[in-house]
Amino acid sequence: MDGVDLELRWSNMISIVSEQARALKRVAFSPIVREAGDLATALFDADARMVAQAITGTPGHINSLGAAAKNLLEYIPPEDLEEGDVLITNDPWMSAGHFFDITVLTPIFRKGKLIAYCGSTIHHTDIGGYGVGAGARDIHEEGLWIPVLKLYEKGEPNKTLHAIIGRNTRTPDAIFGDLSAQVASGKVASERLNALCDRYDMDDIALVSEEIISRSAKATREAIKALPGGTYHGETTFDVPGGEVITLKTAVTIDADAGDITIDFEGSSGPSKSGINVVMAYTQAYATFAIRSLLNPDLPNNYGSLSPIVVKAPEQCIVNAQYPVPCNARHVVGMYVPFPILNALSEILPERSVAEGSGAVWTIQIQGKDHAGKPFTSSMFNYSGGMGARATKPGLSATCYPTGVSAVAIEVLEAAMPIAFTCKELLRGTGGKGQSVGGDGQRIGFKMRSGHDWLLNAIPSRLTLPAKGLQGGDPGATGAFLINGESTLPAAKKAMAPDDEVLMHTPGGGGYGPPAP
Amino acid sequence: MLSNNSHALAVDIGGTFTDVVLLRSDGLRWTDKVLTTHHNLLEGLFGASDLVLEQAGLGYEDVTDIFAHATTVITNMLIERKGKPTGLIVTEGFKDVLYIRDEHRYDMFDPQIEQPEPIIGQGWTWGVAERTYADRTVGLEVSDTDVKALAAELKANDIASVAVCLLNSYANPANEQRLRDLLVKEMPDLIVSLSSDVAPQMREYLRASTTALNAYAAPTALPYLKSLVEQLAARGRNDEPLIMMSNGGVVGANVAGRYPVRMIESGPAAGALVASHYAKRYGFEGLMSFDMGGTTAKACLIQNGEPLVTGEFEVDRRYRFKPGSGMPITVPSIDMIEIGAGGGSIARMDSLGLLKVGPDSAGSQPGPACYGRGGTEPCVTDADLVLGILDADNFLGGDMALDLDAARSAMGRLGDKLGLSVEETASGIFGVVGEYMAAAARAHATDRGVNYRGLPVLAFGGAGPVHACYVAEQLESSQILYPPMASVLSAYGTLVTPTRLDLARSNLTALADVTQDTIAPLIAAMRAEGEAALAEAGIAADAIIADYAADMRYQGQQSEVTVSLPGDPRHGFDPADAAQRFEADYEALYGVRLADMPIEVVNWRMSVSAGDQGREAKTALAATPGAPKGQRTVHLKSGALKVPVYDRASLALGQSIPGPVLVEERETTIFVLPGWTLSPAEDGCLIAERY
Repeated sequence: MDGVDLELRWSNMISIVSEQARALKRVAFSPIVREAGDLATALFDADARMVAQAITGTPGHINSLGAAAKNLLEYIPPEDLEEGDVLITNDPWMSAGHFFDITVLTPIFRKGKLIAYCGSTIHHTDIGGYGVGAGARDIHEEGLWIPVLKLYEKGEPNKTLHAIIGRNTRTPDAIFGDLSAQVASGKVASERLNALCDRYDMDDIALVSEEIISRSAKATREAIKALPGGTYHGETTFDVPGGEVITLKTAVTIDADAGDITIDFEGSSGPSKSGINVVMAYTQAYATFAIRSLLNPDLPNNYGSLSPIVVKAPEQCIVNAQYPVPCNARHVVGMYVPFPILNALSEILPERSVAEGSGAVWTIQIQGKDHAGKPFTSSMFNYSGGMGARATKPGLSATCYPTGVSAVAIEVLEAAMPIAFTCKELLRGTGGKGQSVGGDGQRIGFKMRSGHDWLLNAIPSRLTLPAKGLQGGDPGATGAFLINGESTLPAAKKAMAPDDEVLMHTPGGGGYGPPAP
Repeated sequence: MLSNNSHALAVDIGGTFTDVVLLRSDGLRWTDKVLTTHHNLLEGLFGASDLVLEQAGLGYEDVTDIFAHATTVITNMLIERKGKPTGLIVTEGFKDVLYIRDEHRYDMFDPQIEQPEPIIGQGWTWGVAERTYADRTVGLEVSDTDVKALAAELKANDIASVAVCLLNSYANPANEQRLRDLLVKEMPDLIVSLSSDVAPQMREYLRASTTALNAYAAPTALPYLKSLVEQLAARGRNDEPLIMMSNGGVVGANVAGRYPVRMIESGPAAGALVASHYAKRYGFEGLMSFDMGGTTAKACLIQNGEPLVTGEFEVDRRYRFKPGSGMPITVPSIDMIEIGAGGGSIARMDSLGLLKVGPDSAGSQPGPACYGRGGTEPCVTDADLVLGILDADNFLGGDMALDLDAARSAMGRLGDKLGLSVEETASGIFGVVGEYMAAAARAHATDRGVNYRGLPVLAFGGAGPVHACYVAEQLESSQILYPPMASVLSAYGTLVTPTRLDLARSNLTALADVTQDTIAPLIAAMRAEGEAALAEAGIAADAIIADYAADMRYQGQQSEVTVSLPGDPRHGFDPADAAQRFEADYEALYGVRLADMPIEVVNWRMSVSAGDQGREAKTALAATPGAPKGQRTVHLKSGALKVPVYDRASLALGQSIPGPVLVEERETTIFVLPGWTLSPAEDGCLIAERY
């Protein structure tokens, strides 16, 4: 197939999954999906290899969804699938690393033959159990575990499964709404893919997929071969809720002859008692993300371009969670995964590297009573610190990296619950100095207006250890978490008095290059 | 409304040209264009107007029907940032609202992205102690003494215009209004834009961004419009000129001056209105307009005769034209997609060996290789030339010779990389760019719950008619309209547009709890605002046509669906009927209907208009069927075809030409593929139909 015919077909496939992602984002009940874009959609060929992915979404979701299809099909093999079936799971090890993320996979048939799958992962509103936060003691306390099952069989909903989900979650309506959106979007993608096959007179997508995957693998290997071979070391150290200090170490080996990269997390911190352990799929997602942002940005993200990158970690490691460790708040550590890799490779790719930033977004959830005394559980909302500086550009202020989810508007939150924000302003000068300066953190304050006791569930990080500078840049400022003006290191849900006021200082990003004297 | 020999005049100031149309009530028209005079836009406006009036032997006093105007003046000044010192006043504690934005990184995979510098910087942003809550209660009133101190600061900084955006003012504007009243007492000449007035909708960043842009534009817009009014009057025309707005309506210059942010997309909106005009004229329920120029292609969906309108768009995308890299504006605007695929879009091979087209563009300088201005990259126009669709000797009516050899060698260099011949490469570009546009149109339609299959296509813009037939085939369309006056179509659009204003008010209420107490004051306020604005444009209150809608969603969702209401909700609002309408629209958009989920109303909308004025231009056709003026070989993927070439002006009513056929006019070339027939219609349109 020549470069024209292939482009015509493949650009269509990307637009199918991108539309699916946009539709999901608009229809979602889950605020973190609709406001923050915490979702992923992808198209897989009949061999369960990811061939196209939506250009929206977060790296953690996109890259872990990439491996999900194969994992699901090990439990329910293709020969057991019929038209109208839809698979589901929230198994952390099989998809995106915690129960909140539910992956739905729709087999796509053409004239009775299974030709592809389309999958989506979205962060749901609730999944029962502990709720948002890192406080559960093992994975079973974290919520409902949905193994790989059929959510729909031949077009009919699996009533048993729906009943179980309905009884084991706090917001079943929202979950069912979002699940039906995932199912509907799978149906649309299936129709669109069939229409594409009609237009181009194709029986299936095997040939297009094979071409794209092999060309992507080849181009990725070529890009890696252009780098100087060798093993490069990098590390990052940061503190997480409760004050625990985590170190991530990487040895990044570039095999310039074969065009492979191996990233080994040997020497990193061991498992944590709190729910910040990261499953391998999620670690892999953020590790490959880091490599991808350093290589040619032209390269697409699919099975072929991901295959030359191998990610390893010992079993007793925070980034290779083993049953039954809790992993609900895995993003707290997962979002730091790119930093040791970027630090390691800044030696050979200084111009493309990014200094350490504030790391994970700070997430908050509130439970309380409204003015009328009616209990409520807020949606999760999040705020960013500063991004690390780039070689020739400052880091973005109040903007996270490697994720970059949106913050929910203050007015939206104030309309949804009896909360009043007291401030939300940049903390100027908190980004590390350097040739390029790190992004600034911000100050966010709030209190409740309803006069009732409430529960605060906050996940801050980098309260004691700052984002390092790169190439001689200064570190950014650490963050602070204050309740009534006093510094605290919250780890689990905290009981709050009616008038308590919270003030958060998110951390600044690291600077790049030595600051002017 | 129109007397037999009244004349309407329309001027559209675009980035390159200023276009003008003079239309007599019987349909006779004169058109012309001049280069846009960027140092003083009105110079070009009157220069062009003088030309058509001279052609018609008329003076400005003879323009007794409307004078309508679309302009890029606001967009340009926002992009060039040449505005006067402008202040932003927000709730104390929230001064960085424009810096923090929504914290989003709009491209996850590109670590090098950039955000635009706020239009009003930190040095000119002030906080005031005050607080309003979402439940409309005022926790802290704006204080007299604070405002006095603030006024002193504004004076010290020579601030001429301010944006005021206080938290939750969409729910209760009292504090914003109080602040304004106190401020203008101290500074009577200060221009004040209140967010509760400019964009009264929830979400502080979007509202602040919109209001800041409005305030920044006001000191430019007001004198511009004032000068337009004065210069028109000096030439003998006293009625207020009408200004095209982004939402596809026109309003009087005075109202436009208060809300310059609503003028930003006025040119493209006028183009979309032509599509709406033809959809109505031909009785098409739906239509896709397709406008392809030098750097981008735009598409707009017409449904039930009206263009789709969106509540949010961006201006000045700073980083590779990426969505998210610009400044957001939440005012109603024609819902258009724009993709980086135009005649100047550059084709290249990517690292996978795939042929990609755009979004990088050679623009008009150096332009495609065939322009002979130093461009060496193969562009879409080069491909069109190599394929034989364009004639090297007859581009822009022969005023600009194209260099076929340069196009072929640029194509050859790319072809060598791809392992394809010169013609195969060119037809590859033609196919890929067509597919991109079709894919974008499909996505746009699907996103809005519109079935794109079979929608008629309206083609205009320099490159639109060249590519429309191929794109139409990808969209399974069987009808394409090629309107006359293609080169001044936006100006014409302002004349076929009813005077109209779209209004919105936020009020979050569960649908079940909506009562007359909720609705009546909001609708009355919008009605009063609408009547006042239309009165300024000479429309009597009893001539106003009003349409009503509500933005609804399932409780717990964040994005709303705008649902049309059957009549004035003050006279018998039926929640059950509204719920049914919402659920039907929701299902059309998202394919699901959620039973038993409570519904809430977020915004109430009202659109007031003067109705269709019936203006229409006539284009004369040839008296007798013309013969081909020549023949060209066109290379398509399926092989080389001998294609007859006609002059557009030679075609007569009743003539029907089977494709493939090329029809040339000065500004563009119509290319109709095999399987289609082309015939002129009475109004001067050419219509291609698939058989």
